[in-house]
Amino acid sequence: MIEFTIQLVQVLLLITGCLFFAIGTLGLFRFRDTLSRIHALTKVDNLGLGFLVIALLPQVASPTVGLKVLLIWMVALAASATSAHLVARAVVSEQRGTEGGEGPDA
Amino acid sequence: MQTIKTALLRTLSLFIVWWALTEGDSSGAVFGAVVSLLVALVSIRLFPPGTYAVRPGSYRLRILGVLSFTGHFVGNSVIAGVDVARRLLLPRLPVDPGSLTLTTRLPEGSPRWLLANALSLMPGTLSVNLIDDQLELHCLDQRMPVTAFVRQTEARIAAMYGITPPDDSGAQS
Repeated sequence: MIEFTIQLVQVLLLITGCLFFAIGTLGLFRFRDTLSRIHALTKVDNLGLGFLVIALLPQVASPTVGLKVLLIWMVALAASATSAHLVARAVVSEQRGTEGGEGPDA
Repeated sequence: MQTIKTALLRTLSLFIVWWALTEGDSSGAVFGAVVSLLVALVSIRLFPPGTYAVRPGSYRLRILGVLSFTGHFVGNSVIAGVDVARRLLLPRLPVDPGSLTLTTRLPEGSPRWLLANALSLMPGTLSVNLIDDQLELHCLDQRMPVTAFVRQTEARIAAMYGITPPDDSGAQS
């Protein structure tokens, strides 16, 4: 009974995680500018990954596997924050370059 | 002395990562230990001890600060994901993007870097540029109270590093 409940919760968490990934991708289509799209991809996908990680944790074979899964989560968070920042900076500096010294706001 | 302590601490942290990556397999442990030590020594050359330390504050305050910041970060990244998802699912797409430049009160180095990266994962903000103390943010919705939120996050980071909180009571609520 307890096992069934755990599995049910896991399935629900996995589905929720996948839904968030799908919504994050929807952001690519619905948002009109690159910077807004980055908001969708970083924030929504990270939450999706979080749900997946929590769903997987009760099933891990040993504590080290659990630690590995958590490590993946942390590295993915750091990577997504850093790459979001780099893409955003590239977009803005390109906009400023083509605007030829106009105001900073688009 | 400080260098040896840092080297040992870094070796230990790296070895824990190795241990997790190999899923506790003992056959690679010796190799992992040697590699951890070598990488720690290289890291000492590249990032000498003290590169990231702002001020050796009270240990207890920092542990509490780390927990408080982690809670703030996890809670708000959940809010951020749900917030963007909600906006995306609404047919009228309620966003009002714009940019905002703030002057951060955190000292140079890892506190500023942490602020910029953490803000990218929190509701409505995305770090675009960090030049000296000028932090340029892209806001998904300009109607959100971004400035107050940034100041709140700044204060948590300051507490975590044991930095005296920025002396500003006017803008804070």
